[in-house]
Amino acid sequence: MNILKTFLEMISYRENLDREGFILQETKDEKIAGPDSDGKAADKEISDKPRAKKRNFIKPRRPSEINYGDPAEKTDSAKTDSASSSLAENREVINRLYGLPDNKDIITRDFFLGMNSAYKGMAVFIDGLTDKAVQDLLFQALMLFAVPPDADRGKLAKLVMKALLPGNQVKVISSFKDILAAVNMGDTVLFFDGCAGAVVVETKGWEHRGVERPVTEQSIQGPQEAFNETLRANTALLRKIIKNENLTTEFSVVGQRSQTMIAVMYLRDLANPDLVKEVKRRINSIKTDSILDSGVLEQFIEEHPYNLHPTALATERPDRVASKILEGRVAIIVDGSPNVLTVPTTMYEQLQTGEEMYIHWQYGTFVRWLRAVAFLLSFLLPGLYLAVVLYHQEMIPTELILAIAGNREKVPFPSIVEVLLMELSFELIREAGLRIPGVMGATIGIVGALILGQAAVQANIVSPILVILVSVTGLASFAIPYHSLAFSLRIYRFVYIALGSTLGIFGISMGLIAHVNLTANLKSFGVPYLAPTGPRTADWTDIVTVAPAFFHERRPDYINPLDMTRQPQVSRGWIKDGGKKND
Amino acid sequence: MIKEGKFGPAEAIVLLAVSNVARIFLPYPRSLVEMGGPAAWITPIGGFAVALAGAYIMSLLLKKNPDNTIIEITEEAFGPALGITFNLITIAFFISVSFLFVRQFSEALIIAALPETPISVIAAVFLAIGLLGAYLGIEAIARSTRLTYIYVFGGIVFLLFALIPQWNFDNLFPVLGNGFFPVFGLGTFSTAAVTEIILAAVLVQSMGGADKYVRINFFAALIAFTVLSILLAVSVLTMGKEISTETTLPFYRLSRNIYLGRFFQRVEALFIIIWSIVGALKIALTLYGAAVSLARTLKLPDYRPLIWPLGLIIFILSFLPPDLPTTIKLDTDFLRVFAHVPNYLLPLLLLAAYWLKGRVRRAGN
Repeated sequence: MNILKTFLEMISYRENLDREGFILQETKDEKIAGPDSDGKAADKEISDKPRAKKRNFIKPRRPSEINYGDPAEKTDSAKTDSASSSLAENREVINRLYGLPDNKDIITRDFFLGMNSAYKGMAVFIDGLTDKAVQDLLFQALMLFAVPPDADRGKLAKLVMKALLPGNQVKVISSFKDILAAVNMGDTVLFFDGCAGAVVVETKGWEHRGVERPVTEQSIQGPQEAFNETLRANTALLRKIIKNENLTTEFSVVGQRSQTMIAVMYLRDLANPDLVKEVKRRINSIKTDSILDSGVLEQFIEEHPYNLHPTALATERPDRVASKILEGRVAIIVDGSPNVLTVPTTMYEQLQTGEEMYIHWQYGTFVRWLRAVAFLLSFLLPGLYLAVVLYHQEMIPTELILAIAGNREKVPFPSIVEVLLMELSFELIREAGLRIPGVMGATIGIVGALILGQAAVQANIVSPILVILVSVTGLASFAIPYHSLAFSLRIYRFVYIALGSTLGIFGISMGLIAHVNLTANLKSFGVPYLAPTGPRTADWTDIVTVAPAFFHERRPDYINPLDMTRQPQVSRGWIKDGGKKND
Repeated sequence: MIKEGKFGPAEAIVLLAVSNVARIFLPYPRSLVEMGGPAAWITPIGGFAVALAGAYIMSLLLKKNPDNTIIEITEEAFGPALGITFNLITIAFFISVSFLFVRQFSEALIIAALPETPISVIAAVFLAIGLLGAYLGIEAIARSTRLTYIYVFGGIVFLLFALIPQWNFDNLFPVLGNGFFPVFGLGTFSTAAVTEIILAAVLVQSMGGADKYVRINFFAALIAFTVLSILLAVSVLTMGKEISTETTLPFYRLSRNIYLGRFFQRVEALFIIIWSIVGALKIALTLYGAAVSLARTLKLPDYRPLIWPLGLIIFILSFLPPDLPTTIKLDTDFLRVFAHVPNYLLPLLLLAAYWLKGRVRRAGN
């Protein structure tokens, strides 16, 4: 019977009632203007109109006109209410705010204080964010230590804080807004029946990565520590280097939903107060949903987001950030990001690694000049090759041009196609090498070398000289220490390829002058991006050529710190005249 | 009124020097060789003296009005009608310089590097860079000049001195060349127009005021006239008077002559880089000068809206001369003479006007 039924079902027709399955319907108050919840009448009209008219041009509004609402006001109004003296009421508010009992991360735990059932208490915390060992101690103290039988219930919170709890950061608060913030940050909040205040105990202890070696900014000499994703660990890493009471950390919270902590660190007696003010002004003015990484913040606070060049410096090495802070710059640390931003920045700074200062100045100078050559090669070489081969053959000595022509003879493509083909495959290998799972990483080198090197030449798709050229360009590009700058030059390279192939050397030089013009116009927090060479400022000791450490007497002029002098004219006390000529 | 950037004296010097040097890449030195013969290299000396005198007179005017540029001073001294007329002459001068340079640089590039490219493409590229520079403002132009000048002057010096093996000092004789009057009279008249004192007077507020005006102009003129003089000397030394007179672009011809061994020869591509960078900066600068002068004359709050129409006018004007010889003739017969009006005649007239006003006021008292 069952088999017959199944068979009939197989051959007979049945209407498919659930044809489309699950569809995500548009919510009713979905608007074009985005996070404008209380909105304007104009927005409502737009969303109420039939779909066909939705395509009409919507006049963009200035950010100042849009009412994003205060993040505190936006969520439940009960948040601002203060805690009541009844434990049951507090429990109800907590249940409502956190969506209990659906929300399984939030734990509420009842207990009796000091083994006395007259004193009821409740602890609220988030599982996973708290340190279980600390909490064990906490509950032991609460449940085992005797409470005076005549204790005033209304002052129970104060009593617990002063007499019972061994936790290191304990305070009494009453507003639910602060209570929620504390619980969300991994603290444990204690309510007591009959008491209107809540005790907050610091029990933060979530899983995080330890301090590891730098991954993208490796160096041979110098500290081998890197930032991680924990804000407090990062600030501590900096404080460990600069042991100074003037080192100031200011916090602000950005992101309505993510509530990301952002720290601004600077030396109070060194950084220009206007610079600090401007950094804080820009950060505090940001109205957004979430900031997940310092790269996102960088886009929000940059002066010239449409220019390819980055105008903030991100680094994962604490010693580098410390050296910037000691020059009078400001560091911006975003919670959850292992890259710390320092502003203002210049292009020359982005071509340095900091390691040059740790090694002999001659070595540092050599490396920096090498990097300067790499900088030029990384975006100019393929364009110049095309310009010379296509338009200015007379530049090349006869033997070389014969060699190039001989190699090119079997290749069926024009030079520009050949160059683009190679550049494209190189970029592909680069991107694939980055995304490929670690265990297969070794293969990419072999595949890349095979495709680019042997096979392409043997198949007469590209000429050997081009393989050399593209490899040198790639090497030069990897030699640029700052990832964002290298990225911008990678894109500029294609612009120069286009210019070189259409207008020859003339195109290249026109591109260069436009590039220089656009870059000279950039500013990073009010400081010219090409300082100290355009405009020229006084110091020369740390641009490309590195002077010996005892010559770095003044801080960079363009940052305008409160104290220009880094060390006295004679910094090596053991030599009578500092090893310099007496003047 | 108009938001202009500010830059230091060192940047101002290289900016004006590069602007003044731009001429040597064009057929201009050829006409000097024609004028002075083997003594062509002496002709800039008279021009240098005149340029310094002109800068001094201009500085007297600017010091009387420390907050203004020459545009406002002219209007104040001559009254609205005559003042605006003179200002329009100044603007016309900037536009003429700009369009003649666009045309000559484009023609020269076709001769030197891109024989099959349409001239409109090259002129459009030059103007596009000029527009970009003028749009970004004088600060960006000055900083770019400051960043590139080492390569420009280093390249020029290298190109000139790489020819040492081919120098023949017999070519320099007779010492006074075509005679005293052509070398010192005509030569001075012609080379005095190399420096654009009026451009510096328009930019004076960005350069840090009238106090530094003479010093800046002195160094800028010194660099420009030295380079010009050396170029003329090298041209005559290397090729002799006859060939120097025949070739359209003496500097380009010289760079082709370079032979420092089998591997290093014919470096005109290097020359093209320097050449086009100087050209683009010069065009950007004159376009900026024209736009800012016009905005100041019309009392507009911003010069940027004027850049595009002015650029278009310059683009069209640059195609009006039918061929290169006509352009060169325009440059020699029209621009070189016309240049003296805003550069030298205008400051003298202004001084006279101030003197007269002072006399009238004193007589009234």
